[in-house]
Amino acid sequence: MEMNQPSRFDAIVVGAGPAGATAALKLAEKGYKVLLLERGRGAGSKQVFGGRVYAELLRRVFGDLKDAPIHRWVKREALMLADGDRLVAVAYWTANSTSFTTYLGQLTSWIVERAVNAGAVFVDEVRVDRLLVRDGRVVGIEAGPDRVEADVVIDAEGVNRLLLERLGLVAKPKPAHVALGVKEVIRLSEKAVTERFGLEDGEGLAWVIVGSVTDYLPGGAFVYTNKDSVSVGLVLHLDAAVRGLRAHVHELVERLRLHPLLRRYWGDGDVVEYSAHLTIESPEFIPKSLVHDGLIVVGDAAGLLLSTGLTVRGVDYAVFSGFLAAEAVDCARKEGGFTRDVLSACYEQPLRRSAVYRDIVRRKRASKLMKDERLFRDAVRFAVKAASTIYELGEETPKLAEALEEAERAARLSKLSLALMLIRLVRGL
Amino acid sequence: MVRVVVGIKWVPNTQAVRFDPKTGTLIREGVPSIVNPHDLDAVELALKLRDRYGGEVIAISMAPPSAIKGLEHVLGMGVDRAILISDRVFAGADTLATSYVLANAIRRLGSFDLIIFGQETIDSSTAHIPAQVASWLDLPYVYYVEDVEELGGGRAVVRRRLEDRIEWYEIELPAVIATAMHSQQPRPVRLSYKLRAKTERRVEVWDNKVLGLDERCVGLRGSPTVVTKVTWMPEVPRKRQVFRGDPREAVKWLIEKLREEGVLPY
Ligand SMILES: Cc1cc2nc3c(=O)[nH]c(=O)nc-3n(C[C@H](O)[C@H](O)[C@H](O)COP(=O)(O)OP(=O)(O)OC[C@H]3O[C@@H](n4cnc5c(N)ncnc54)[C@H](O)[C@@H]3O)c2cc1C
Repeated sequence: MEMNQPSRFDAIVVGAGPAGATAALKLAEKGYKVLLLERGRGAGSKQVFGGRVYAELLRRVFGDLKDAPIHRWVKREALMLADGDRLVAVAYWTANSTSFTTYLGQLTSWIVERAVNAGAVFVDEVRVDRLLVRDGRVVGIEAGPDRVEADVVIDAEGVNRLLLERLGLVAKPKPAHVALGVKEVIRLSEKAVTERFGLEDGEGLAWVIVGSVTDYLPGGAFVYTNKDSVSVGLVLHLDAAVRGLRAHVHELVERLRLHPLLRRYWGDGDVVEYSAHLTIESPEFIPKSLVHDGLIVVGDAAGLLLSTGLTVRGVDYAVFSGFLAAEAVDCARKEGGFTRDVLSACYEQPLRRSAVYRDIVRRKRASKLMKDERLFRDAVRFAVKAASTIYELGEETPKLAEALEEAERAARLSKLSLALMLIRLVRGL
Repeated sequence: MVRVVVGIKWVPNTQAVRFDPKTGTLIREGVPSIVNPHDLDAVELALKLRDRYGGEVIAISMAPPSAIKGLEHVLGMGVDRAILISDRVFAGADTLATSYVLANAIRRLGSFDLIIFGQETIDSSTAHIPAQVASWLDLPYVYYVEDVEELGGGRAVVRRRLEDRIEWYEIELPAVIATAMHSQQPRPVRLSYKLRAKTERRVEVWDNKVLGLDERCVGLRGSPTVVTKVTWMPEVPRKRQVFRGDPREAVKWLIEKLREEGVLPY
């Protein structure tokens, strides 16, 4: 029906998350004709994340972050081991911050706006249905009845890699390699956030809570302070959740929100957002190949996420890989084309040599450990029991050794297995 | 061939707007605007007519510049041309001043067969604009229209649905109609159309230099409406009663409760 001449671009980027938006921005800055496609309304409406971004790689890519939508610089961290209405907290405070809290949608919109100003064409509310393949090479995309062609396609579709699956480039995700994240944003006033959490203006905090908050399942809960709201949520390893979860995940988040020791911080706030999303839990999610003829894979789609249990880095890695992809387009053009070999030399190899990539695969062992259910149940119970024996005193004041012994009994954990767990933990992390 | 003009309003997404019970005002801050959903019925009907008879669909909206996004959305659905009427002097308009500007802008478009509006807007629900535009242009007006069944020879047959009956009107063209809400299934946007909207057929922007309207008749100055008082419905706390057990018993229990509350009269 439509006799339109199909449009042509130098590059098409699928997905306006941090990875795709960065690739589009950097390509537009280099003068390429680039099309950025997003299925959601506006940039960032479909993305979910916990709440904090590490700044170093962003500075390298975007320069200073003066006009970036930064909510608070994280200067206080805590790991909490929760067992019912008792918890043990290990805190880290610093005057020097390397990460900030933000809404991912705002950060992504900020990048997309820059990309559009640099000349990228951004089209939202359009879902790409498939990558267009001719003679074994990716030559463009299909969306509904429309096709658009380009020299190279950058796949930034995120963790749900339907396009790559459809092409047979990756398999469906295994439950062992992904986790389910859910989160609520609770609105307070800026003053309330600052005062209640003992912060100063512009300062933020990040908490990780493990133990009873996830029904002792592998994973953890998180709390981040935004400018005038708090993000509260949890991440559950999918295989463990499938096996062990008794309540609906949503109920776990509600329980966390109403937790007797924590609700004082946000209990009177309004829940203004609820969201759920998959996230990556293992380096095994990384596809065998990150390039194909005419195709570069970036961000979550490329499995570039590192979650250590204490920290999560996905957004800055996404930005970094989007940046590398734009460099690679330049490089491939000079090297004579967008074949798999050239793209491999221009993108995949530099990426695999980067500290980012090496850090991700180095954590293979840790990511196994993070699935150890005893860590999330027995070790937490042990620590909380030991602390309560030490701090909750009646007539007697037990010695430390006695407290530990009692905790061992309560957690049904031997000294040996505890020591082993500790060693593995230290080596893994 | 038909030439159809569609009126579009750019509104705050009221589903995302929250209400501040202390001050009685809407918290609009940070709330993204959208095309008034009921206007998409009008767009869909216009596109159907164009697909059937050939011709052109022109979307028109008086709004701040951010509404370009909304007009790009309807261009993405397949509208042929989109015009944003935007000027500081138009700001603060009530429905009279708005309809005056719209009617004059539509006059500039030359001949047309139909002007289609949505039933009402989600942010004010007055449904004034279509009737007022019809008055300014001295055209027949039918509202709650479900479909245009016939069109040609300077006439159209439109069907409208009321609560207890369906009515058919034969009207002379040009005419103004307003669609019944949810009477159409608005089509999704298409990549090629949206691309065209971003590259070739950009939204045209008309300010008052283009329209040349008397400033006393537009914007705040042209708006005789005076809001003397706003009251709001107090929030009624929910009773949070739950009945567990046999569904039959539940029905009895529910009826009992509703009677106690005076919701059921007997
Ligand atoms: C609960 C949770 C907490 C997290 N916490 C953190 C954190 O604190 N810090 C951190 O750094 N990272 C965190 N992450 C990870 C982080 O969100 C991701 O690593 C990051 O968003 C990846 O960016 P991306 O651009 O690759 O993909 P995404 O952000 O997922 O963006 C992909 C985009 O592509 C679009 N898209 C997909 N398919 C199509 C299609 N077919 N057509 C058109 N558009 C399409 C989507 O709508 C989406 O907008 C968290 C993740 C979760 C789930």
